[in-house]
Amino acid sequence: MSSVSLFLGALISGVTIGCIYVLLASGLNLIFGVMELVNFAHGQLLMLGAYVCYWISTLLGLNPYIAILVAMAIVPLVGIAVERLCFRPVLGTGKLNEIFVSLGLINIFTYAVVLAWGYNVKIVTSPFDKLSVSVGVISIEFDRIMVIIIVALILVALFVLINKTKIGRAMRATSQNKEAAMLMGININNIYLVSFALGSALAATGGALYAIIYNLHPFMGELITIKAFAIIILGGLGSIRGAVAGGLLFGLAESLAGSFLSPIWEGAVAFAVLIGVLVIRPTGIFGEKGR
Amino acid sequence: MALIPLFIRDRYIVESFIPIVLVYVIYSSSWNLLAYSGQASLGHAAFLGIGGFASALLSSERYWHISPWFCMFLGSAIASGIGFLIGLTCVRLREWFLAMVTFGFAVIAQTVTTALDKSIGGILGFPPEPLVSSPIQLYYVILALTGASVFFIYLIMKSKIGLAFNAIRENEVEAKMMGVNTTKYKLLAFVISTFFAGLAGVLQSQQAAFIDVEVYKAENSFTPLVMSIIGGLGSIEGPIIGSVTIRFIDELLYGVPVIKWIINGVFLVSVVIFLPKGISSLIRKALKRK
Repeated sequence: MSSVSLFLGALISGVTIGCIYVLLASGLNLIFGVMELVNFAHGQLLMLGAYVCYWISTLLGLNPYIAILVAMAIVPLVGIAVERLCFRPVLGTGKLNEIFVSLGLINIFTYAVVLAWGYNVKIVTSPFDKLSVSVGVISIEFDRIMVIIIVALILVALFVLINKTKIGRAMRATSQNKEAAMLMGININNIYLVSFALGSALAATGGALYAIIYNLHPFMGELITIKAFAIIILGGLGSIRGAVAGGLLFGLAESLAGSFLSPIWEGAVAFAVLIGVLVIRPTGIFGEKGR
Repeated sequence: MALIPLFIRDRYIVESFIPIVLVYVIYSSSWNLLAYSGQASLGHAAFLGIGGFASALLSSERYWHISPWFCMFLGSAIASGIGFLIGLTCVRLREWFLAMVTFGFAVIAQTVTTALDKSIGGILGFPPEPLVSSPIQLYYVILALTGASVFFIYLIMKSKIGLAFNAIRENEVEAKMMGVNTTKYKLLAFVISTFFAGLAGVLQSQQAAFIDVEVYKAENSFTPLVMSIIGGLGSIEGPIIGSVTIRFIDELLYGVPVIKWIINGVFLVSVVIFLPKGISSLIRKALKRK
């Protein structure tokens, strides 16, 4: 294989994994932007999405791409329950309490899944498993093209929802100024709920797509959450555009670096970059203005 | 506590269960002190490991072969020095950034220890030079050091320094307005807290007569957090109550780790929501009523 095709291959796999990071990071940023809540258990929602996809597609023998829709419907319900039962009571009582609750949730979700499906790595078989498209010197797996198309469609829908609809306007108003939004007759509790459900749906989609391309196990949410945090800290807390740009860049950098760095350094390098950036700019590259 | 070995002959309780609880008391008290200044570390295992490894390596025959007693303080001081360096970054950060940086630092510490395996030997692990010759002696050493550490942390929390920590946690901007040098005090909290985390690491490796790279695992970073919160955040008795409670649950559910973790999580979430000041606030209330 020539070095050009090796490079192009790494490019494609970087964009694919980057797309999944984008879904996770933009969900986190959506929730942060509206609620000012940092949910460390967001990766566990991704993991749940992957397991729902696995479960539905093996139980009913369904096409996993259709099972994504089921995951997008079920996981937000879990998200809503979490928001109402766990985060709502501690919202506004200090950032530390929110962090502690989300740490507890990580344990609950991870080990509930272990209880149901065990520690073993599972595989979701895609109907396009053997299909690939050859473009010039390389061939691209059809599943990867599907991932890129699906994520692009979801992002377009998300931008339309936030910028063009009434509920999107209410979300933007809430993120700018909660009191003023309330005075304008917006029920911010409902907006919180919608944002959390939306963030959960994005995470669930990311999990299901990850399961189709790679595989799934109960601890898959952990490292990927850490990377999503690195992405939103680099790209700016609360900015969805930052999450999209940061996610794709991170995926590409990781995939290209993967060929000449030993995998044991994977987590450490992500953190070293993160800490380095925070030393220079304590609020992240694009910063948070006026918060 | 000092009389327990005279009455209880069960070797498991005297040589393992109680010393482990005591080490956790030091470890979670050190975490609690940092949280008292409004800084929640998610990577305290880094300092547990640095303290343990530094003292074990300095006292080992392969290196300087310094007296293990002196190395105990040296190891804690090294953990504290590295805590100072990490603190320099952390004191400027918001809560969730601080959480990520400390968590990340534990991952980095683990990776570096693994990468330097040729000179450290952390993957297979090794026994440190023993402090004392018998488990009963070690029991009294750990008991005495736990008492001294808790007393020292108590003095700090009750002093002017503790007052400054409290003010910073409640409202950093207001504390700054009242003339508290918040950066200095937050850094001080890091230095003191990581010293005791390092000490806990030394004692843990002594108690187990073993140290390996597993000491950095995330579980070890979350345990002091869970213990402090369940016992009562920001109180001196909280980490003690929490350590005993969590260790009992661990013993009870030893055979079913999955259930243990789920209960652990449910316990943490419900305490934060329904009993924000932990079990110690219940006890205080009960004592007041009498």
